[in-house]
Amino acid sequence: MGIGLDLGSTTTKGVLVDKSGKVIAAHLIPTGAIASKAAETVLEELTKLSQLELGDVSTVSTGYGRTQVKFAHESITEITCHSVGAHNLNPGIKLLIDVGGQDSKVIRIGSNGRPTDFELNDKCSAGTGRFLEVMARVLEVSIDELGPLALKSKSPCPISSTCTVFAESEVIGRIGSGESPANIAAGVHQAMAAKISTLSRRVGIASPIGVTGGVARNPAFRNYLSAALNCDLWMPEEPQLTGALGAAILAIARASDTV
Amino acid sequence: MSEKAYRVLESHNFLQGVMYRYMLEGHAASEEGKLAWVTSGFPVEIPVAMDVGVSYPEQYGAIVGSEKVGPKLCGYAEELGYSQELCSYARASIGSVKYPEESPLEGLPAPQALLACNNICGTVLRWYDAISQMIGAPVFLVDTPPLEGEQLPHHIAYVRHGLDNLVSFLSEQFGTTLKEDKLREVTDLSTETIGVWTQCLEACKNKPSPLNCADRFLAMAPVVAIRGRDYTLEYYQTLLNEVKDRVANGLGAIRDEKVRLLWDNIPPWFRVFRIMGSLAKRGVVFPADTYTHAWTGSFKDEDRMDSIASMYSNVYLNKGLEAKIDKMCGLIKDYDLDGFVMFSVRSCKRYSLGQLVSKELVSERTGVPGVVIEGDMVDSRLQNDAQVETRLDALLEMLL
Repeated sequence: MGIGLDLGSTTTKGVLVDKSGKVIAAHLIPTGAIASKAAETVLEELTKLSQLELGDVSTVSTGYGRTQVKFAHESITEITCHSVGAHNLNPGIKLLIDVGGQDSKVIRIGSNGRPTDFELNDKCSAGTGRFLEVMARVLEVSIDELGPLALKSKSPCPISSTCTVFAESEVIGRIGSGESPANIAAGVHQAMAAKISTLSRRVGIASPIGVTGGVARNPAFRNYLSAALNCDLWMPEEPQLTGALGAAILAIARASDTV
Repeated sequence: MSEKAYRVLESHNFLQGVMYRYMLEGHAASEEGKLAWVTSGFPVEIPVAMDVGVSYPEQYGAIVGSEKVGPKLCGYAEELGYSQELCSYARASIGSVKYPEESPLEGLPAPQALLACNNICGTVLRWYDAISQMIGAPVFLVDTPPLEGEQLPHHIAYVRHGLDNLVSFLSEQFGTTLKEDKLREVTDLSTETIGVWTQCLEACKNKPSPLNCADRFLAMAPVVAIRGRDYTLEYYQTLLNEVKDRVANGLGAIRDEKVRLLWDNIPPWFRVFRIMGSLAKRGVVFPADTYTHAWTGSFKDEDRMDSIASMYSNVYLNKGLEAKIDKMCGLIKDYDLDGFVMFSVRSCKRYSLGQLVSKELVSERTGVPGVVIEGDMVDSRLQNDAQVETRLDALLEMLL
């Protein structure tokens, strides 16, 4: 067995797999203020869900809080873990776009499932889940409602700012000038897709392309990104768990190396 | 077991003495009314041959960064209205002139002239203009238009004309003259010093590499700031002996060399030793970098002023992107490197411009992976350690 824990900026994800890589249990919770606590809680949940004793199971941590997990046997970056996780789910994927709460990354996956090149967003929150959260708040909808709202738009209104703070002012300005929430929401997704598409082109477009991370669940984001890249996108059933799955698979590989 | 991952150079004490002497000489020159501030790529052999003392604000910026007071000094410049987008060497310098009592070493000694050469960037001129406004010392610019490809005769003639004007300016400002034999003596000494320095750099082709990036970032100070002096040459000869000794005994800069990388750009002075130290523990060494390799070359036996014009026009940052890419590919090949790290310095647009394109082309031509990390050389507010670590870790996971 192997455990993968992905301590993201917003959500902590845990996946337990058997030695063939099949998922036995998975769980996710908000990371909150103390990353190590979130990791412990997720581990407890995996124990409950699997009803197995997990004390000695090989564990790999990943994500920004990866070094905070004292009981993990190894920490590996989210770049390698996402690459391995996506490759495990769909070995054909050549380019992976992962959009999380506070970062977005584009990874070129080699034939062995390992990354061969990658780019991450800069220190700015544009092009991350946080961008959408801020815009949802301004438009007075929940984050889950934002995508469906945007899909109702017939004519997205352009949002030119890429900075979250300035884009927020721009959106407020659009509201003031009477633009419909659907058109504004669509413009927000379009701006975000443009930003991620630029990041992807820096690595180089190679299809098939996969999208993962919490933001991948947003249908409007997928639509606009697909249009911006002029390419269909593949998404796993549980896009948020890809990194944790990769970590769990690497945990198995690690255990078999050390035995 | 208690052995550190990193081997400290014995010649480091000598280096500290050299830098201390440079500082004292700067103060003495300032008191005599004979000190000029110069930019890092300035044709310094001319003022040195004319007996004008020199101090380097960029090297001082590195001290500000290492002392971790960048945000404070840069903040003083921002209070005066300068943008956070302005070069942090410039901001640190302006801040230290405004509040010397708050600055490391109480600031640089006060200059009587400000000598800028735009072969490294255009900002230096405006930076020195700002200092000039604060303290009254006049600015002189040696203009070296950027080069794309070979330097043509009219380009040398243009720069040469600027150097002749520099001599007139210094004569008038400091009441000295330039003697041909003195210029020859100083440039010969520079050539010899650069030659020994280059041998130290090239010794890093050996496996294990006798020097790491951080060693060279420290050891480069005299070849940048104290040219044409006999004690500088003596220091590099001592360093070279130690380097040769390490090579002969199979001793590396780090104890267990596994991965050899190239570093591109100025380092984050406030963090470079921590980054290099933690990478050293994982067996990562940097046998080459574009930064310390920028101070190489030699003065030819032709007309010395023409030779100076040629050498200072052809510095790394004054050439096009193609030359930079060629240099990186050459270093990766010659030093047998496994990958490269490009530090995108928020302050230094001239050095960082084009890195994304370069990264792609260098990887394509050499077949080794690279990563771009972002931050700053002095202003730690512009650096996010977690992001830098993730990118470096991911590169190593691709290599180890």
